[in-house]
Amino acid sequence: MKLSNKLTLITSAVMMILISGCSSQPKPLYNYEDYSDSYYHYKKNAGEQSALEYKQNLEKAIENAGDSSSGRVAPGLYADLGYIYLKSGNNQKAIEYFTKEKTIYPESAHFMDRMIQKIHAQEGDKK
Amino acid sequence: MRFQNLTALSALLLTLFLFSGCGPATISKGAAYPKMYDQKPRSLLILPPMNESTDAEAKEYYMTTVEMPFAQLGYYTFPVEMVSDVMKQEGVYDTELLYNLPMNKFQEYFGADAVLFTEIKKWNVSYMVLASNLTVSIESKIVSTKTSEVLWQHSGTVVVDLSGGNNNGGGIAGLLIQVVATAVSTAAADYVKYARVANMRLVSTLPVGPYHALYLQDQDAQLTQ
Repeated sequence: MKLSNKLTLITSAVMMILISGCSSQPKPLYNYEDYSDSYYHYKKNAGEQSALEYKQNLEKAIENAGDSSSGRVAPGLYADLGYIYLKSGNNQKAIEYFTKEKTIYPESAHFMDRMIQKIHAQEGDKK
Repeated sequence: MRFQNLTALSALLLTLFLFSGCGPATISKGAAYPKMYDQKPRSLLILPPMNESTDAEAKEYYMTTVEMPFAQLGYYTFPVEMVSDVMKQEGVYDTELLYNLPMNKFQEYFGADAVLFTEIKKWNVSYMVLASNLTVSIESKIVSTKTSEVLWQHSGTVVVDLSGGNNNGGGIAGLLIQVVATAVSTAAADYVKYARVANMRLVSTLPVGPYHALYLQDQDAQLTQ
């Protein structure tokens, strides 16, 4: 191989590496769907409609969690959904989702356990 | 000059150009934020922002943009809405009060390794004679719940020229139209959009978290200052 050919090869190899290093966009770690937008609309126009859309977006993001580089449900989504159920009085569902959150993310276990204990304590008071 | 020499020279120039195109290196993440690598926080408790801007609504709106960029970078982010509600139930309504709690309380109650504090410095449109700028400016820091040390801090500012550079003038009337158009186009949604851009700038300086593929391997990543 002639020197100039070699140089051309090296140059193009270096260029390829640099260009891919600068601009490659892999899939994000998590799929949030339109979490931020739906949360924003929920804050801006608090009401039944925006609350429903916020909840539906959480469910959609959980359902399509596989469309991401981690394949996992994003941090906090199960907890957010559980909290919506808790506010509407569905304690069973709330506990179910809080448990899911801490199963995927042990970092949340302390907080989720505290929430679950609170629910049990309240139920104990009623009896 | 011979052909081969010319090729060698252009190869060198091209390589130099491309390297500089990736960003002038000034400081590595490891040197800028050594405590992040020492303490290795896995989870971030995102508190409601402190609003120092002139817009009373900025706080609630900005709050909806913070979780995603930090989670995508590999940290466990506690659910913002739920955390903020739970704090209120515990009697902490005031953000200022919240920001002055002893750090170990956040460890005790939530089990968080670190807390993310955010301050909205600017969230406004400044109207000038010929142009108007929308500015969103955010300062944020991560503080350890174990040692109360600041592990990372940075600020992100986005300034957008709303007049869009269309100098098709038309005297006073043209100006008036422009001002009206500007007022209409700066809905709250615009702020949120640019707040996300400011967040991206902030987050790009943060060492990646435990769920990121490059966890504890980005000490040498160069930051421009």
